Amino acid sequence: MGRTAAMIRTLFLCFLLGGCAGVQTPLDPAGLQSAQLLSLFGLMLWVCGVAYVLVLGFLGWSLWRARRRIAAETAPEVNPVHRGLSRGLWGWTAFVATGLLLLAIASFLTDWTLARAERRGAIEVSVTGHQWWWRIQYRDPASGQWIETANELHLPQDRTTLIRLGAADVIHSFWIPNVAGKMDVIPGRANQLALTPRRAGWFRGQCAEFCGPQHAHMALDVKVESPAEFTAWLAAQAKPAAAGGDPTALAVVTAGPCAACHMIRGTDAKGRVGPDLTHLASRRSLAAGTLPMSRGAVQGWVAQPRAIKPGTMMPPVPLSGPQADAVSRYLMALK
Amino acid sequence: MSPDNTLPAWTDPPGLWGFLTTVDHKRIAARYVVTTIAMMFLAGMLALDMRLQLSGPDMGRMGPQEYNESFSLHGSTMMFLVAVPVMEAMGLWLVPLMLGQRNVAFPRLSAFSYWLYLGGILMLWVPHALGITPDLGWFEYAPLSGPAYSPGHRADIWAQMITFTEVAALAASVNLAATILKMRPPGMSLARMPMFLWAMLIASLMTIFALPAVMLVTSMLIADRMVSTHFFNVAGGGDPLLFQHLFWFFGHPEVYIIFIPAVGFVSSIVETFARRPLFGYRFMVLALVAIGVLAFGLWVHHMFAVGLPRIGNAFYTAASMLIALPAGIQIFCWIATLWDGRGIRFATPLLWVIGFIITFVIGGLTGVMAAAAPLDLQLTDTYFIVAHFHYVLVGGAMFPLFGAFAYWYPKATGRLMSERWGKIAFALIFGGFNLGFFPMHLLGLMGMPRRIYTYGPEMGWGTLNLVATIGVAIAILGGVIFVANAWISYWRGRPAGADPWGGPTLEWATSSPPPPHNFDWVPVVEGFTPLWDAPEGLPVMTGLPEDRRKVMITSASTATAEYLQGSPGPSIWPLIAGLAVSVMFVGSIFTPWAVAIGAVPIGAALTAWFWPKRKRATTGPLGGRPA
Amino acid sequence: MGKARGRMLLGVLFALAACSKESRDLEASQPMTTPSGPSDPRAVAFTGNAFQVSQGGRYFSWYGCSSCHGDDVTGPLDLGDRRWLHGNSIDQVYASIAGRHGRLGGQIQSEQLWQLSAYVQQLPSLAPERRRRQDNDQKGEPQGAQWGGPLR
Repeated sequence: MGRTAAMIRTLFLCFLLGGCAGVQTPLDPAGLQSAQLLSLFGLMLWVCGVAYVLVLGFLGWSLWRARRRIAAETAPEVNPVHRGLSRGLWGWTAFVATGLLLLAIASFLTDWTLARAERRGAIEVSVTGHQWWWRIQYRDPASGQWIETANELHLPQDRTTLIRLGAADVIHSFWIPNVAGKMDVIPGRANQLALTPRRAGWFRGQCAEFCGPQHAHMALDVKVESPAEFTAWLAAQAKPAAAGGDPTALAVVTAGPCAACHMIRGTDAKGRVGPDLTHLASRRSLAAGTLPMSRGAVQGWVAQPRAIKPGTMMPPVPLSGPQADAVSRYLMALK
Repeated sequence: MSPDNTLPAWTDPPGLWGFLTTVDHKRIAARYVVTTIAMMFLAGMLALDMRLQLSGPDMGRMGPQEYNESFSLHGSTMMFLVAVPVMEAMGLWLVPLMLGQRNVAFPRLSAFSYWLYLGGILMLWVPHALGITPDLGWFEYAPLSGPAYSPGHRADIWAQMITFTEVAALAASVNLAATILKMRPPGMSLARMPMFLWAMLIASLMTIFALPAVMLVTSMLIADRMVSTHFFNVAGGGDPLLFQHLFWFFGHPEVYIIFIPAVGFVSSIVETFARRPLFGYRFMVLALVAIGVLAFGLWVHHMFAVGLPRIGNAFYTAASMLIALPAGIQIFCWIATLWDGRGIRFATPLLWVIGFIITFVIGGLTGVMAAAAPLDLQLTDTYFIVAHFHYVLVGGAMFPLFGAFAYWYPKATGRLMSERWGKIAFALIFGGFNLGFFPMHLLGLMGMPRRIYTYGPEMGWGTLNLVATIGVAIAILGGVIFVANAWISYWRGRPAGADPWGGPTLEWATSSPPPPHNFDWVPVVEGFTPLWDAPEGLPVMTGLPEDRRKVMITSASTATAEYLQGSPGPSIWPLIAGLAVSVMFVGSIFTPWAVAIGAVPIGAALTAWFWPKRKRATTGPLGGRPA
Repeated sequence: MGKARGRMLLGVLFALAACSKESRDLEASQPMTTPSGPSDPRAVAFTGNAFQVSQGGRYFSWYGCSSCHGDDVTGPLDLGDRRWLHGNSIDQVYASIAGRHGRLGGQIQSEQLWQLSAYVQQLPSLAPERRRRQDNDQKGEPQGAQWGGPLR
């Protein structure tokens, strides 16, 4: 039944929705987990759809049937005879009970399949939710060091990545719908989520638990790539930033205000409270998925972050024109 | 029995003093209902505001602070200040009438309940007028609502508003439960009780068990924020999940507390308009009890994404699916009653019931989908869930409420609402609601999370959001027409007479509107459709005095008459006690000393309230030993 | 008539004062400048506002101030003891933070310095438990260059 019917259903929904093949939707599964869940949803639609049609049909029949009789002025029936209605009730009860049992079993089987997938974790990744960005740390298999980046997650295709989830401040929720269901990140709790992507490409995740004013702008980019590309990417991320650069920019970034909160490995900027900027320009977007990465976006963000994300903890930094130019050029060179 | 046939012992003092001291359940319930309509309008305006902000990408109409305040105020008002209070109010108005009684078991307590409800409204909306609006949602999870991440008093205002409304709800529920259990007309055993009374009884008992949990969690939150306890603070050894468990242990039964009275409304309307007693009465009662009990075993389905063990989640999946079975049985029995009826009149109340069935079942089915824990990980905290809970709350509680309002309006006011405008309002609300909220299922499936104040154009959510906004606007227009109809019909509606619909239950046996004492004599019943069982006239029991306030007390299960009990008259003490409690509640968000100091006026007010007015009885079931 | 109106005005002012303490402005603003003196009129918007003081507390933790100015420290580094070695007016506190903390002091932006000054100025009058409540809630966050990972 499964695959063809599922495809027909998905296509129908796509027709309805238009935005079906998206980068942030459970309807376009690109991973083992989300594919399982979409199948379960399809089964639900069938069973619930049949139930609804039966209810509407019975209701429609009742109204049509009763209209053919006399209206308001009849005396009410005090001791009615039940006719076939009692049997109908038992039949309906049996149908509902069977349907619910079927769906419950399907749910348990899906859960079991997902749990089995979880045991085959490979790479160690730790994701921490902050207000309003994602800190992402990979453990380098060779050196055992943690490699830190922010707001962009790379995953090797056809491998299971077990993500350790944590929260630094309040409750957030880590959700990449094309790949898997969500998992909350809760202070004091060590949650984990298994992701087994099956299709390469770019996807988008978003925080799904209200976490303050900029909850709406706490997204992350997810790239699924071949294991070789992934290893290459991780190796590039492990390198520190190139030494040297425009002194005007360095005075602001590595010796000036930026260094109070941000880390750029290989320089004097060693702050941990904000996202790691060592390879900022290699990322696809800025400010947790709010703006596409570009020099203009970086310059605008640095000049007035609150115009883009009101309530953000990053303050505006007053820079002269040449300073702002130099800073944005320097940051865009951090590939 | 005309309204001129009033008994002086049961009339209220005139003017403002009468307004403040009345213990007439009908007057108190009427002011309760009018207040909830006003709150529903305010919350509806907030909804429109939010929908306008979301009707296109990057609208920029509201900033994040404003939007967060809007959805928090909308949810808190609808859940705590509209949904539960309006059901209690309808119960307060209807229960004595349906029981052939002259008042509730604890008349002053019903007045107290209203004053505290009003206190809750003021607790939330006066700070809003001053710009201090709670902004963390209608269930402010810790640690976001903790001392570091929510400075100032906004979270405390929210938490204390809940305390007000809980006490009001508990007062109302205790009252209704006692009335239904001990003040039924002779002959109305539990097996002959109309479904509506079963519904109010079960909802009241559920309230008594569920509300203390939210009282506890909000008090713990205030304690964490004010006196450095560590209930939810990890570094101090606490757990944010404790907040969620306690809140949802209340929160899930709460939605059934809202739904179950609606079940009662639907049963009453269906019986009358199908001209037939409810099909499957026994199954309906059992289903209702099953829902009442099961509702307490489901709460973790609000927490499927927090990382609890899979086997635990699976249990709650099973329980959450199981509760669909009694609900399904109820749907069948209602439709079966219509199917087997002696002709149907498509008056407005019945239209609302039909709208309820069409809408609520969708909500119930999406609930079954969300009950599957693994699937819920894709659905929870998205617009799919927003759609689901609006379908069950609006379709499952508001539509029956509007039907009930249209159905009993003639009894309360003596006039009929306009059928034409009633049908127009129905069409606009029903159509607008479905147009507004069905697209939200699709938005959730397209990845749109909840509680976001804006979204980018690249997400592709703009069109469906615009459709949703248009639908909601249409529904609100329908709501305005509904209220306008009620208002205008009050002055210009056709006179209704005692029994315009030919209903089966006792409230239709008295005049419209009923006199303050409701009934001249105590009716005696033999079935759950008393007026249909005795078309030539109800048998009654005489003996209630006309010059004193007395009500008849009957036994709890078989309803045999036991004794007459004095019923309190108008009193200022509920208002004074309510003021004292309000002062203590408001003060306790600023200092813990308010609890100790505030207890003194409360004690004084309660002492005056309960000061005995009669000598101790020496004979009969309440007789004591002579002094 | 005048008395009633006067009382009403007082009530309105009180109410306005109440709401300014709780107001929260998240939108973009111009970068701030150094306080002009002890009675800079902008001070009250920070010291009299719960959100701004709380933000100061958050940055206090973020910049690692607790490592030297912790709860249980005594002596000149104790900020809660009402002994102000360098003055306690808003401009003096601001100048102490910006000027006496080496490179970090120069890196912190003006608006954050205002928030920190408002917080520090209030520390002696903030009950120690209130300071500890905020610190406790923030234990999972980074402090300066240190971060022990999220609380598990």
